[in-house]
Amino acid sequence: MDEAKQKSGRSAGEVAAAIADILAGEGAELVASLPDGWIAPLIKHLGGDARFRHVPVNREESAVGLCSGAYFGGRMGVALMGASGFLTCIYAITKINYTYQIPLLFLITLRGLPGDTARYHVSNALYLKPVIDAIDLPMLTVERFDELPRIGEAYRHAQVLARPYVVGFTRDLLRGAR
Amino acid sequence: MAIPIEEAFSTIAARRRDELVITSAGTSSEVWWKTTGDTEQTFYLEASMSLSTLFAAGLAMSYPEARVWAFLGDGAFVMNTGMLFVERALALPNLVSIVIANRCYGSVGGVALPDAAEIDVAAVARAAGIAHVAEFRTMAALSQDFDAAFGAKEPTLIVLDAALPQKSYGSPPLDGPELKYRFGRALERRFGRTVLA
Repeated sequence: MDEAKQKSGRSAGEVAAAIADILAGEGAELVASLPDGWIAPLIKHLGGDARFRHVPVNREESAVGLCSGAYFGGRMGVALMGASGFLTCIYAITKINYTYQIPLLFLITLRGLPGDTARYHVSNALYLKPVIDAIDLPMLTVERFDELPRIGEAYRHAQVLARPYVVGFTRDLLRGAR
Repeated sequence: MAIPIEEAFSTIAARRRDELVITSAGTSSEVWWKTTGDTEQTFYLEASMSLSTLFAAGLAMSYPEARVWAFLGDGAFVMNTGMLFVERALALPNLVSIVIANRCYGSVGGVALPDAAEIDVAAVARAAGIAHVAEFRTMAALSQDFDAAFGAKEPTLIVLDAALPQKSYGSPPLDGPELKYRFGRALERRFGRTVLA
């Protein structure tokens, strides 16, 4: 049994399954993704879940384009990516989603927080939240398993706001440690 | 001699049946608007920056019964050639990408692309595995082979070796929310499903 499971009694797979159930319950179908290390297990899970159409994309902005077009099919898309990749999407978000009022749910990793030993993610620690705030993008941080249902709230509220909503996951949450 | 873009768009518009159209920044939005004035079956994605075909792919996935045309410039194509691999994987038989290859950034007045003379959009698309690639250098060829190129039932990329517009025609006089609702409501009427809650 890994350390995270010992701590919480659940695995990363169980966390991924719970997130998938929430998204499916909200009616999400299209999931576009480009992984970072933390979110890769969730992406693999969604990719193997027949309730979703999972599209791996070549870069994160492509997920924005694809999901924004699919929105006109009547279902809001979900884009999964790391924090660094998310930061490359600012242009697409402000130009496409803001200009045309197209909602989209982002599920991202909160790289750079305490516990992240990768020095190349220091930039995310310093600038991810300020950048999100700077463009007035609604954001929900999910740190504990019992907070997962709030993803559903974010999914619904993005559609009310007619703009994207970001849900950020901590490493411990995704590993099943909390 | 490159194809006059106005003539090319007139021909394409005249041969169009009920295809949904996504345009991109600059030339395609301006000339398509001037040519068609369409505000319901066309989404003018002027803030596209290389994402018009993926936007169109999302639409084509959602409406397999419809055909979707997506315009983009060769500047956008160069910016995001990796999109071809996503589009190949999606394998959407109802998606046609139309690259306006004028070897410059038309939306800003014609600043040249890097190494513009050597860019071969069709070759790149073929190498990336796009199933059906066609290239037009004359109006006569476009008119003659239009149906075979635009009507293929497999993922398609068409290259128009086109000149810059004779002048700037200006953007469609529609702001973002108006475009969203006109396009979305037209889809609801046409396909009988709820798009915009």
